[in-house]
Amino acid sequence: MAVRRKNRKQQEYFFDYTLLFIVLFLLGFGLVMLYSTSSYEAALDYGNSAYYLKKQLISTALGIVCMLIVSRINYHFWERFAVIGYIAAVVLILMVLSPLGHEVKGARRWLRLGPLSLQPAEIAKLAMILFLAVLVCKMGKGIRTWKGFILAVGAAAPICLLIWKVTNNLSSAIIVAGIAVLMVFVAAPDYKRFVLMAVGVCAAAALIVFIIVKNAEGQAEAAADGGIQSDAGFRGDRIIAWLDPEKYASDEGFQTLQALYAIGSGNLFGKGLGRSMQKLGFLPEAQNDMIFSIICEELGLFGALSIILLFILLIWRFMVIANNASDLFGALLVVGVLGHIAIQVILNIAVVTNTIPNTGISLPFISYGGTSVLFLLAEIGLVLSVSKGIRLNDVG
Amino acid sequence: MSTENRNHQRNRNYQRSSRNVENRNYRNNSRSQELRSLQRSSLQGERRSAEGRTSQRNRRSAEGRTSQRNGRNAESRISQRNRRSLENRELLKRTKSQGARVPEAAPKGTGARFTIRMQKKLAVLFIVVLLAFLGLSMRLYAINKEDSENYKKQVLSQQEYSSKVLPYKRGDILDAKGTRLAYSEKVYNLVVDASVINSKQIYVEPTVSALNTCFGIDANEIRNHLAQKPKDKYYVVKKQLTYEEISPFLELQKDEEKGKNIKGIWFEEEYKRNYPFGSLACHTLGFTSKDNIGTNGLEAYYSDILNGTNGREYGYLNDDSELERTTKAAVDGKNVVTSLDANIQRIVEKYIKQFNEQHQGEYRQGELGSKHTGVIVMNPKTGNVLAMAAYPDYDLNNPRDISAYYSQEEIAKMEEEDTYLDTLQGLWRNFCIQDAFEPGSTAKAMTIAAGLDAGKIKGNEYYDCNGQLEVSGHHIHCHRTNGHGNLSVSGALEQSCNVALMHMGDAIGTETFMKYLTNFNVGLKTNIDLAGEARTANLIYDVDSMVRSDLAISTFGQGYKVTMIQLASAFCSIINGGYYYEPHIATEIQNPDGSTAETITPRVLKQVVSTETSEKMRTYLNAVCITGTGTTAVPAGYLIGGKTGTAETYPRKQGQYVVSFIGYAPADDPQVVVYVVVDRPNVEDQPHSTFAQEIAKGIFTEILPYMNIFRTEKLTEEQEEELRKLQILESVSENSVEKGEGEEDGEDETEQEKEEEKPNYTYDDRTGNIIDPSTGYQVDPNTMEYVDPLFSTIGDISGTPSENEQEEDTGEGGNPGQ
Repeated sequence: MAVRRKNRKQQEYFFDYTLLFIVLFLLGFGLVMLYSTSSYEAALDYGNSAYYLKKQLISTALGIVCMLIVSRINYHFWERFAVIGYIAAVVLILMVLSPLGHEVKGARRWLRLGPLSLQPAEIAKLAMILFLAVLVCKMGKGIRTWKGFILAVGAAAPICLLIWKVTNNLSSAIIVAGIAVLMVFVAAPDYKRFVLMAVGVCAAAALIVFIIVKNAEGQAEAAADGGIQSDAGFRGDRIIAWLDPEKYASDEGFQTLQALYAIGSGNLFGKGLGRSMQKLGFLPEAQNDMIFSIICEELGLFGALSIILLFILLIWRFMVIANNASDLFGALLVVGVLGHIAIQVILNIAVVTNTIPNTGISLPFISYGGTSVLFLLAEIGLVLSVSKGIRLNDVG
Repeated sequence: MSTENRNHQRNRNYQRSSRNVENRNYRNNSRSQELRSLQRSSLQGERRSAEGRTSQRNRRSAEGRTSQRNGRNAESRISQRNRRSLENRELLKRTKSQGARVPEAAPKGTGARFTIRMQKKLAVLFIVVLLAFLGLSMRLYAINKEDSENYKKQVLSQQEYSSKVLPYKRGDILDAKGTRLAYSEKVYNLVVDASVINSKQIYVEPTVSALNTCFGIDANEIRNHLAQKPKDKYYVVKKQLTYEEISPFLELQKDEEKGKNIKGIWFEEEYKRNYPFGSLACHTLGFTSKDNIGTNGLEAYYSDILNGTNGREYGYLNDDSELERTTKAAVDGKNVVTSLDANIQRIVEKYIKQFNEQHQGEYRQGELGSKHTGVIVMNPKTGNVLAMAAYPDYDLNNPRDISAYYSQEEIAKMEEEDTYLDTLQGLWRNFCIQDAFEPGSTAKAMTIAAGLDAGKIKGNEYYDCNGQLEVSGHHIHCHRTNGHGNLSVSGALEQSCNVALMHMGDAIGTETFMKYLTNFNVGLKTNIDLAGEARTANLIYDVDSMVRSDLAISTFGQGYKVTMIQLASAFCSIINGGYYYEPHIATEIQNPDGSTAETITPRVLKQVVSTETSEKMRTYLNAVCITGTGTTAVPAGYLIGGKTGTAETYPRKQGQYVVSFIGYAPADDPQVVVYVVVDRPNVEDQPHSTFAQEIAKGIFTEILPYMNIFRTEKLTEEQEEELRKLQILESVSENSVEKGEGEEDGEDETEQEKEEEKPNYTYDDRTGNIIDPSTGYQVDPNTMEYVDPLFSTIGDISGTPSENEQEEDTGEGGNPGQ
């Protein structure tokens, strides 16, 4: 009888270990890289080379606990929190303006709750995934119509706008919008409108870049004539620096250029773990958004491609889970998480390689950032919870 | 999507629900097969999604069939058709809510499905993501391939550029009382980085104007530089600014509003060597040139100890272009504590200057009071040098400035003739250790000591002097041409009779004489811890080739050459009981924090003469200063011993003399030796040792009270008056006001005052008291009123009333034998 019981357990509590191990490996690797990258600056600034590592370890441990708990709860449990989560995200973002708001390096993006500080934008990403999954399920076939499409995408708009305008965090806003679009893309049968949308976004981006460049040239001429110096705004500067980082090597282009130096000097196998030179005060925020360039420097092209491969594996696991999910809600949750991680990884690497203009996007599981890793792991917990559903359905 | 497939899909869904029901019934039988089939099907599922969309549909149906078959095997006879009813689904829901162990078995709530169409779109999304990753990988590869070399160089060049040297601080040179004679001060070089300032137009104006207001740098000069070399990173505009000078700028730069656009200015740190007393002990201390290289004197001799090791701010690259991580802080240099005493040195230099100013241009037009004047003050019991001064001197803070001695035209001429450097070298020469000269009669002390110690003369001999002596056909004269008459050994020394000394030389013999001379270190370096001591080995006679006349003139210090330090050290050994101490200046090496790293103890090298000989010599030398040629040098109130010297320089018969006096005090217990040499005094009639004696007397008069050596002799009215003038004794009225302590504190302080011409109250660094220079009294720092020493609460005052009383008592009751 005892043997039977044991067997039954094995059968019922299936875990997608492939996914789990990929995530754990990424976390472990991330911590090693974080320590390697941040130890020098941490020792200089805080007198403790493990300063960042310690903080990240705490968040990671919390995140893993969170992930395990979430994975054991039936994901339908969260359905009822969709609207509450959405509203909570809005409120939290607005609270950044309150005295609880906390400013780091000139950006007011954090909430300080006692010893913890937390970034509402990260919560908003999770809330958006949950909310859209529920919304699309509720709409059913309604998603196929223009009305349904606009409703679904429009649901994301307020949060995106809030993140952009209130916390002045365009990159997070783009990510939330991206998650929403990807979820709707998967849910809606149409291609045309998405292609149209993509073309539209590209055209708009090209136009903005064009205007900014023209503007900058005009300014440069005006400045050369001894005219008034105006402020193009930091995003404008970043775009100009993106086009020619060498020219703005001393300010806007500095970080990008230093990241490129790091990548370029890595070669095939890199300088070896811990031997980066760029992290020694040259590359700002090396442990943060720019950690990928240090990976390139220390572990070379090989290390970088390995990491990319791991992320591909991760996304592939997500797809398998989504495809086999027992219902649309579960599948959409997984698609949302897939979208979130895919967008962040792609944008992060694109920024580091100067493929797109510099904007602060962290590399999931690897970059320094407590809230980010906590909520990412919660999302993984959700995916694991969905994955449990598959198994029993597929059992012959 | 074909109908067939739709059917499959539906079929499968129904199967699922029905299977769950069966699971409960047949679980035991089918468990193992289920597991196996799960593995298989999930494997297939994975393969399916990986391989994309083309064959997806077929596979899916195939899989459907497979699982169907498996299900059939496991569940045996149960027909599928029966389970196609909605009732079954309802049943399932019910069983679930009744607590069946099938937690996530069935869809709930929305009931919607993740359709094939959605799966397809997800696959499309996956491929888009894959393509994005592929694109980024290509980009990574491209960066590595195209710019790798370039970027690698960039990284390395950045590294070197930023790997900043942290300069060490060169150690201090301190005197015996802890006064800093030389120290290094952190200074800042103002560096302009034009590339940063030019990077944004808005930086230029604020930066240029800040430089102008804070440092008074001409705005146009900076603008020109920015325009001409827009990419220049390193342009030193101002050098060696103190922290006070740069702090207004630093504050301005910190200012949020005004300092925001001040960019591209940084300060390079370095250390500047400072000599707070300017020319004091310049020859002994020496100075440093660029990069802390010591030039001359102690600075050169102890350069390695004074220097530390530079640190580096970041790591540096090793041979494999790898980063060495150790961030090394600069190790500051060690301090050298010397036996020099700034006060004694100051007194010595005062009298040297006084003499030279008095005789400036007196006989030789446009020349100084002497070619050179050198003074060494030593402690005969340790060989430590208390003061060492040479004239002409120079300002250590500005050693290349010779405008004090030469006019602009002369300097221009020197530069033309390329003799400017030679002139500088001459000025920097330390006469006391680098110049050799014939010692003259001061050497007679060595001759007699050698004779006595070797037993060749007993001290009871008498010699007849008729003004000259014929030696090997040479008529060698005594300085008194009509002769001294009959003289004892002591008398010969007192009167400095050459003829008597030549007779003694005959008695001593060449070998013994030269042996003793070598024992006195004549011809050998004394190894004093100063750079550049002269070698005199070939300036003395070789014992094998020495003829009788050579010995004859050697007995009274002609024919061979010594340096001042050689003679002073030898003289010390004659009077201190016969022990030859290595002359030394450093007494202690300190760590940068002031703790002792090494104590340098006095080193006895040998005993040259016996204690008895030494004692006898002291009596003779004392007599020289009582009844002999050395009376001029005697300071009021003291008994001293000493020997005068007058040596004619080469070429002879030019009326050029080196006059000298070497003396010690007190006569019975030598505490201090003063050796004064005046090289060719600027007077018509040179051969009088009184020039040197007067300097020595002045020095003795002031340093003996300073060294707490008390007067033993009665003062005459005149002497009292003289001392009052020097403020060593208080004036009568002051005496009635206050006895004792005020004197002790005031005396040398006021001397310094006169020298420095400071108008107001001064700080006595020996006692920490504030002194009124006009009276020599201690002053309350709060009220600026005189302090009654008996009720003083201000601080400790050196000297006690009893000491002073004792001094005066002995002074009055002592032996008036001058």
